[in-house]
Amino acid sequence: MKLFTRYYRVNLLSTIVVMLLTSMVYYWAISRILIGVADKDLVVEESEIFEYVRANHRLPQVFESKDQQISFAKVSGPVKREYINTSYYNPKERENEQGRGLISSVNVNGVLYKIVVVQSSVETDDLIRVIFSITIVVVLLLLFVLLMVNRLVLGRIWQPFYGILQQVKAFNVAEKNDIAPQRTNIDEFNELNDAITSMATRVKKDYGELKAFTENASHELLTPIAIINSKLDTLVQTENFNERQSMLLNDLYTSVSRLTRLNQSMLLLARIENQVISGYEPVNLKWLLEEKVAQLQELYADKEINVSVFAEEKEVQASRYLVEILVNNLLVNAIKHNVPQGQIDITLTKDKLVIKNTGEDRDMSTQDIFKRFSKSANSEGTGLGLTISTQICGNYDWMLDYRYRAPFHYFTVVF
Amino acid sequence: MKLLVVEDEPGLRDSIRDYFTEAGNVCETVGDYTSALQKINLYRYDCIILDITLPNGNGLDILKALKQNRHPDAVLIISARNALDDRLQGLDLGADDYLSKPFHLSELRARVTAIVRRRSFDGNHIVVFNEIALDLQSKSVSVNNQQVKFTKREYELLLYFIANKGKVITKNAIAEHLWGDSIDAANNFDFIYSHIKNIRKKLVEAGSNDYIQASYGMGYKFTDQ
Repeated sequence: MKLFTRYYRVNLLSTIVVMLLTSMVYYWAISRILIGVADKDLVVEESEIFEYVRANHRLPQVFESKDQQISFAKVSGPVKREYINTSYYNPKERENEQGRGLISSVNVNGVLYKIVVVQSSVETDDLIRVIFSITIVVVLLLLFVLLMVNRLVLGRIWQPFYGILQQVKAFNVAEKNDIAPQRTNIDEFNELNDAITSMATRVKKDYGELKAFTENASHELLTPIAIINSKLDTLVQTENFNERQSMLLNDLYTSVSRLTRLNQSMLLLARIENQVISGYEPVNLKWLLEEKVAQLQELYADKEINVSVFAEEKEVQASRYLVEILVNNLLVNAIKHNVPQGQIDITLTKDKLVIKNTGEDRDMSTQDIFKRFSKSANSEGTGLGLTISTQICGNYDWMLDYRYRAPFHYFTVVF
Repeated sequence: MKLLVVEDEPGLRDSIRDYFTEAGNVCETVGDYTSALQKINLYRYDCIILDITLPNGNGLDILKALKQNRHPDAVLIISARNALDDRLQGLDLGADDYLSKPFHLSELRARVTAIVRRRSFDGNHIVVFNEIALDLQSKSVSVNNQQVKFTKREYELLLYFIANKGKVITKNAIAEHLWGDSIDAANNFDFIYSHIKNIRKKLVEAGSNDYIQASYGMGYKFTDQ
């Protein structure tokens, strides 16, 4: 739920409840007052009757009045004096209306009469109704204005927040663009902005240092590796090794070559991330694919893997060097993680390149296969191949996607 | 061949020198910028193996000095700096090739041989080893002047062998020479064996001697001794 929605809901609900309560109290208070006024009128009428009786010793003549009716009735017992809500027959309108009455009694020459004075309360009700409707209109108008103001003003006030959020979402330590400071006149947002900007700068600085360290360390490592490799090459020339010695030497060679590739991959990744290698030239992907497939022929033939290529003409604008690395990594991956007598299908269309291969019967999308150094336990690779591929795709706004549909692993580059 | 190795790491420098000297080449070495500059002003070499990062100087400046003085020496840059920019800069300045560290000595030798061959035997594209002749232009192989059909890979492998004749070449070096980084995809190097078998068979069937010796478990040696 959005902050606004939440706020509106609470705001609206409490406003309505308060309005309902106050309008009830209001209604009750106004009707109390108006009934009080009506009752006073009735008392005035009653005392007029009493005065008339005291002066004339008989009941006054009852005449029709517009909004008052008085009736007398002879009673034998005492009458309880009380106010009643009753109906009032309006002779003009010829209909019954709401009325307020007073029952009282008078003693005329020893005879007890019950007096009923009824007054129409239509006007009172009308008054209440008018007051009530005005109130309702005012309340509704108030709610509407409140809603509009909230929507407009809050939307505008929160604008910088969404701006910051957008930038934080798009933030990538490996990319060059920084979080641009958003100036607002709201202190909280300025504070948030400052905090995020300084955090981003710090993170980038740390990342940059780490990357520089990686690059330098990899670099420095290459020289001793070169010496080891050359010394091994020299050692091999002395020949006459027994089986154990040659096995040891082979292991050394393998390890040195893994170390070399790891170093070079790390350096390459650092450079691609820094966009040191970039550039755009037309690269014919179809030719490149066919060339690479031919070049790798021995490697998949050795595993008796069947490779099929379906390629449409497709040209991309990118660095040839990087595209070659991308294609090579994906193909090598498909061969390396394949099973004997497996299958690799390569499909190149205008908008995507799909490489699907058989392999271990396992969906690897749960574990993040694009993460650095994530690799299967028995893989001798560097674990950086897919990271490099992702980074290359990222540089050109392509998307590299993985999914598993038994028995195939699909790697798709969407251009 | 007369070579100059400009490399500040003594370990690597000596290995390179040993590898080339044993095959009858003259190989001089220097370890820093100043002495390298002196050497190139005094003597001429078939090929200079040049490291870029040197004590008190940059290898690329040596390359510039060579070009300014119009010295004809071929230059092969070796560097741990594998950045494409360095590579391009080196080649733009007139280097003949670029090899990033670490490398196999056999790869270095193949590259140097290729450069020197390209430069000194201009017009003559034939590499001869006893009865075997390789035409570098048409990439074809003949034994006793009889054409033998070789695949591209087999041709490349034979050329690699001849450039490193008399040396043990490891399967590792062969694999990296022919497949580069893609060799990552291989579980083992068994498929190299079938290439060697084919080359051997084709050469022997065409009447050549069998020059390929297996070096126990390590690799192969192409030799007429």
